This record gives sequence, structure tokens and C-alpha cells, in this order.
Amino acid sequence: MIDLAIVLVLVIIGYIFGQRAERRHFESIIDREEQYKSLLCFSERFPPTQSPPPDVALVAGNVVISIDYFKRIVAGLRMLFGGRVTAYESLLERARREALLRMKEDAMEKGAHSVFNVKLETASITKGRGRQVGAVEVYAYGTALIEKTGS
Amino acid sequence: MNYQNRKIPEGINVSSEHPLKEFAILALIAVALVVLVVVILSALAEHFVKYIPFKAEQAIAATMAKQLDDGEAKSPEQQEIQDYLQGLANTLAVNQRLPKGMTITVHYIDESVVNAFATAGGHIVMYKGLLQEMPHENALSMVMAHEIAHVKHRDPLVSLGRGLTVLLAMASVAGVSDSSLFERFLGQAGLLTTLSFSRQQEKAADLEAYSTLREYYGHLQGAEALFEVLKSQEGSTKTPAFFTTHPLTSDRIETTKAFAASIHPLEKVELKKLPDFIERLK
Repeated sequence: MIDLAIVLVLVIIGYIFGQRAERRHFESIIDREEQYKSLLCFSERFPPTQSPPPDVALVAGNVVISIDYFKRIVAGLRMLFGGRVTAYESLLERARREALLRMKEDAMEKGAHSVFNVKLETASITKGRGRQVGAVEVYAYGTALIEKTGS
Repeated sequence: MNYQNRKIPEGINVSSEHPLKEFAILALIAVALVVLVVVILSALAEHFVKYIPFKAEQAIAATMAKQLDDGEAKSPEQQEIQDYLQGLANTLAVNQRLPKGMTITVHYIDESVVNAFATAGGHIVMYKGLLQEMPHENALSMVMAHEIAHVKHRDPLVSLGRGLTVLLAMASVAGVSDSSLFERFLGQAGLLTTLSFSRQQEKAADLEAYSTLREYYGHLQGAEALFEVLKSQEGSTKTPAFFTTHPLTSDRIETTKAFAASIHPLEKVELKKLPDFIERLK
């Protein structure tokens, strides 16, 4: 009985804090995406030929987001029946967009106007340790094109 | 070439359904399934339990058996009582025709609890409190034969299986399938099983005990003394909880007397005395 109570408390804490964090995160993501709109990102491997050729630099951004207990329980229940694991979908969506945003921040600091060959890597931090609450890492990287200045 | 990043509409990868709604639906279905599975499994447990080899039962019970002895060394007096009880149990086990390989291990515990119980692996626990109340060996044999009958009928395993099923089901739903939880459960299971024999199981154990006593003594006189002891215990406020699942004690006295009468209607037989070292406990 006490075990059930512990689980219940964890679920409630997970729900309250997890949902609040998610809502705020999405607000911040949408906000910053608007802010960095001018920086263009493409998965194209080759940029258009340009003269004079721009400087290039590797830009990257990574993020690790932990799931909360509520998401874990919902996902666990979902695994019994199948279907969209919406609890994890929103988590990964946040992670991808946040990673891209951090990459964009890196690119903007370097004075880039666009990033080509953008790729995403995803890793599960707690792989193989099933009993722990998991966390996901998303790493975004690409080649930034920086307009030559001066000379 | 004109390159641009168009704004991607929101909600492609994120479902707009409220997470609590999803949780509620899933949890309800899961709980319903668990209840169904538990009901089915516990119904089946009674039928399948006899196919579990006694050796496997002993292996499961090994951790619990360690707890029964508490690790404390027994004094010579306690050891003497335990040996006596073990001897009596062995004799009764022969008279009850236990299946091959089934063995009874008696644990005597020096506590004033008026109780005795059987648990998985053929372990029978006898408390000093109950032993003190026994007027003669015939009544003590009735207790022992009753508990041995539980072992023979695999009753502890049925309850254990039921408890394990419930726990497994709860753990898989709650996602708390820690192995430590299992160990904790197995540790407590020994006591749990005593609480959850059904009334039918108790009745069957009583009947088995009658035929055992008849086999051993040739009569049933004195067996009802056990239930009279239990009845006097019921009168006091601290009724042991486990007796509530047993058939009504007054009914058991009547049944026992009727059985006794059906075997030796008239003769009054002398009842066997308990050894001195047990009389001394009183």
C-alpha cells in the first residue's frame, strides 16, 4: 500500500512540475524561433556557389531533457496497449527544437547568415538502466556560412 | 536561387489531447485488466498448484524459513520442545500419508501469541502461547494435524501464489518492478499466507486432521479441546486475526464431537498426557 502511495505522490509531482516546465519551454522555444528567423537552416549538403566564397565553421547545440515520473507512467501504460506515445513525442519535439535553437545561437555569435548540412543526433542517456527515470539528448550540428568581412 | 525557412505549423509532433485524459483512460483499462487477471489467476492457482513440485515450493520458501528462526540460538529447553514437536509432526505426517518427498519442519517460537500456522515449504510455526493452552497431546495433535493438512493441500502455496500475482500485477502497472520489492514481499509472505486461507481450505484441513487423528489414536476424543481453547480466546478482546477466516469455532466443536461420536460412540478413552517439559511451561 505504501508503495502505491509513493508512486502516486511521484506521479502528482511529475505531473505538476513536468507540465509546467513543458509549457514554459514551448513558450520560450516559439519565442526564440521567431527571434532567430533571419538565420536560415537547411539539411542540404552543398550551399549554392557564392562569390567570394564565404568562411565556414562548425556550429553545434545540444540539450538533455529528462522525462518526469508522470510521463514515464503514461508511457509505461502506453507500452501495454500500443499507439502514439504522446508523452515522449512532446519531449523529443522540445529537445530537437531546443538543440536547433542552441545551434542557431552558436551560428549567430559567429556572424553566420545560414547553416547548411544540419543534422540531428539523438541519444538516450540512461540506456540499459531501465529502472532510472530516463533522459534524452539531442545534438544538432551543421556548417555555418559566414560572409567575409573587410579585406 | 531563393532559399527560405518557412514557419512550421505547431502541433505536428505534439498531440493536443490533455495528458491527464490519456492517463485516466490507460490507467482504467490497465486496472480493469489487472483485476481480471488476478481473479482468473487466483481461481486457477488452486487447480494448478498441485503440479508444482514440493522441492520448488521449498526453494521459494527458503528465504522465509530463515526469518522464522530469527537467527537466535535456541536454549536447551526450547530445543527439547522443538524436537518433541518435530517428532510428533513426523509421526502425524506418516499417519496423514503425506506424498513422497514432502517434509514438515516445525519451528517453535518462544512468544506468548496464541497461534500456530503453516507456511510454504512445509514449515509449521508453533508459538509458546498456544502450546501452554494445550490440555493434552490429543489437542496438540489436532493443531499439528490441521497445519500439516494445510501443507499437504498446498494451501500456503495457493495464498502465496495469489499474493505474488497481485503484487506482480500491481508492479507492472505502477512501474515499480524493483527486485527489492520482490524480496520484501517474499519476506513478509510467510506471515501473509497464514492470514488468507479460505474457509473451505480450513474445513478441508479440519477433515484431514480428523482422519489423521483417527489413524493415529484410533479415536477423536480430545480433539475438540483445541477449539474450546480457541473459543475461550475469542472471548477475550485480543482475538487473533487469523481465526476469523476459520469456520465458526462453536461449529467446529460440534463437528468434532459428532465425528468423535461416530467412531467410538460410548467408550471414554484416556487421553495422552503431554511430556513434563511442556507441562512446566504452564
